[in-house]
Amino acid sequence: MLKIDLRELQKYTVMLILVVLMTLFAFASPYFLTLRNLTNIVTQNTYFIIAAVGMSFVMIGGGIDLSVGYQMSLVGVVTAMSMVIYQRPVWLSILIGIVLGTLLGLFNGVIVAKVRVFPLIVTIATSTVFQGISYIVSKANTFRNYPAEFLLITTGKFLNVPYDVWLTLLVVLFAGFVYAKTSFGWNVLALGGNEEAARLAGIKTTALKISVYAICGFFVALATLVMIAKANTTSSMFGPGTEFTCLTAAIVGGISFIGGEGNMLGLVTGVFILAVLGNGMQLAGLGTYAQYIVKGLILLGAVTFDEYQKSQRGKGHKPVPAA
Amino acid sequence: MQEPILTVRHITKTYPGVVALNDVSMTFVAGEIHALLGENGAGKSTLIKVISGAIEPDQGSIVLGDQEYTKMSPALAKSLGVAVIYQEFSLVESLSVAQNVFLGENRGFLVSRDDVNRRAAQIFAEMNVALDPTLQVRKLSPAKKQLVEIAKAISGNAKILIMDEPSAPLSAAEVETMFAIIRKLKEKGVTIIYISHRLEELFRIADRVTVMRDGCYIDTLVTRETQRQTLINLMVGRELKEYYPKHEAMPGDVILEVKHLSGLGDTDISFAVKRGEILGIAGLVGSGRTELASLIYGVAPKDSGEVWIDGEKRDIHSPAQAIAYGIGLIPEDRKHHGCILNASVRFNITLSIFKQLARWGIVNTQAQKKTAGYYIEKFNIRTPSMEQRVRNLSGGNQQKVVLAKTLAANTNILIFDEPTRGIDVGAKQEIYHLMVDLVNQGKTILMISSDMEELLGMSDRLIVLCEGEFMGEVPKEKFDQRYVIELASGHH
Repeated sequence: MLKIDLRELQKYTVMLILVVLMTLFAFASPYFLTLRNLTNIVTQNTYFIIAAVGMSFVMIGGGIDLSVGYQMSLVGVVTAMSMVIYQRPVWLSILIGIVLGTLLGLFNGVIVAKVRVFPLIVTIATSTVFQGISYIVSKANTFRNYPAEFLLITTGKFLNVPYDVWLTLLVVLFAGFVYAKTSFGWNVLALGGNEEAARLAGIKTTALKISVYAICGFFVALATLVMIAKANTTSSMFGPGTEFTCLTAAIVGGISFIGGEGNMLGLVTGVFILAVLGNGMQLAGLGTYAQYIVKGLILLGAVTFDEYQKSQRGKGHKPVPAA
Repeated sequence: MQEPILTVRHITKTYPGVVALNDVSMTFVAGEIHALLGENGAGKSTLIKVISGAIEPDQGSIVLGDQEYTKMSPALAKSLGVAVIYQEFSLVESLSVAQNVFLGENRGFLVSRDDVNRRAAQIFAEMNVALDPTLQVRKLSPAKKQLVEIAKAISGNAKILIMDEPSAPLSAAEVETMFAIIRKLKEKGVTIIYISHRLEELFRIADRVTVMRDGCYIDTLVTRETQRQTLINLMVGRELKEYYPKHEAMPGDVILEVKHLSGLGDTDISFAVKRGEILGIAGLVGSGRTELASLIYGVAPKDSGEVWIDGEKRDIHSPAQAIAYGIGLIPEDRKHHGCILNASVRFNITLSIFKQLARWGIVNTQAQKKTAGYYIEKFNIRTPSMEQRVRNLSGGNQQKVVLAKTLAANTNILIFDEPTRGIDVGAKQEIYHLMVDLVNQGKTILMISSDMEELLGMSDRLIVLCEGEFMGEVPKEKFDQRYVIELASGHH
């Protein structure tokens, strides 16, 4: 008898949705399918993809990180202040940003793993903490006009493709490789699949949990650098909201809310579905508020589908790891 | 007595790829205790779900009383006096015993706590058990929860009570209590449909036994006119010879020594195991056997005491360390602690050794496939491919995957916690043979089991625990079920 694996189906469904959306908007606006617009969609979303990859480590490991937005806010103002106010060299500022992001993730990870509280609550709490720190540090100022070398992140090109697009590609391929080929990635899949079974199998789950949050923080910091370089400005208001896009993209792309599964191609497709929706609706004359409604409904729909799959499990026969 | 109360007619239920029930017809008579017997996948659970309205059959009908139903729903079944106690309890842990007993009962808008408590106490008095209705269910032992489930069924005036593996979480003494209650219900004219893997129980409690196999009805027999072997053969569909295999290995030197171990409610437990030995750990539910395993395996920290392996004192603080010292655990809760159900057979078998299979962090998938393939063949794990999700395997094959995972990590002291629970007869045999093979290869086994027959049949020696205390050691010559149960109940 014919058996359809939902997970397998979803991979293609997600791509199909993207194609359908693009076709739809192509008819709605003549401008949509122009090279310029499509290039815009890609370059405007590189930092979302990098942050989503970070979040995917946490989610595949069975957790969640809602503090991503204010991690970006804090990393952004600190990096910018280091360059603009304190006149530190670009390389040092970048290093400070990345180390700070990793530490913020580490902080989340230690609390989640050691205190054993729901990551949802922990990261809502730390998110508020990061928000407060961000505003205190920035004194609610905006920081503009970064050194030219820093702006190279998004303006520099290799083979006529911006550096940040290359960086994004690298990040995605790297994460895909980690999950397909490395013992670390497989341990994370095991952690998300069944934490207790993983622990009893000798996997050091506490350390692993802490490390996925730290990795998330690392990628979030990378994403922040791209975001502020692209805007050439930042304040404490830059970043929040990103966690929502990442979360939605991850779930739409097939990374289960309860962990243990996921693929990077789906994740990237998920980001682009949201991006195309935003862009297309804008071109079609629908404002930001209408977009909120649609994006919220998409998250609801994706979570419902995820939940439905959970109840249907056992009927498919494709294994979890994409390895 | 011979009046039929429930008849199922030509019930067929198919799932994609499987016929769960194939034209099953049978009759239950009022006031009988009717056992359903069959291996896993025989269709027993599907049948009771059809009767209780939890699933809808493709074909067939149910006759309850004098009414024929082609469509049954849980609410309708309940109103017709059908109550089911599933293996997984359906109790609200945060509520009191009495609140659970009358859960879902609508008696107007206001409820009085005193009234509910009084009525629950009445039911427990009728059942002849002492249980405080005001206790929170969370604080009860599995056995007590079972009693709450039964009380819940009775409170709804059930005429037909279906019990799915009710004795699984119970100790021998608790099973006796439950039997007494079942007999009492029978006297009151309640029909009991009793599902169990434990044959000896059926001979003690059931009036008739219906055997099912591969979704088909096989036969219904009067229990006291039936031989045990006949039932086994009907269930398996072939002859099963010698139940517990014997191993020829002579125990060697002491490999594991536990000295004055305390923690998790266990106090001052000392014993030694020799290489090539199967040491049985006997005790009732709650006697601290699983806790002992957890302490040795480093799942939880010990309060005091020492563990010596191969003559050296070892401090084990995590399962990872235990595995490094060669200790493996096949946990009691296979599905939640033993494997990752949604991952493949291949992934699960190598779960403990990703690091060893990797170089510079990159896993050698060829070596991984080789390891998985080796164990699939060696243990005869029945799976369409190594990419199959473990969730889709039968209980026995899941257990073999867990065992393969443990052995792949190069362990030589294996702690089996309830290795055959919920596994069908044929697969049990295979597990027993695997255990004997392992011992013959020089591995050492600690076996925890609530199935006394299995424990006596497999072990070379027994230690007995009761409420966290070491009660004594029993050599093979002195194996006697009654003696061991007495020790386990705290009598010397």
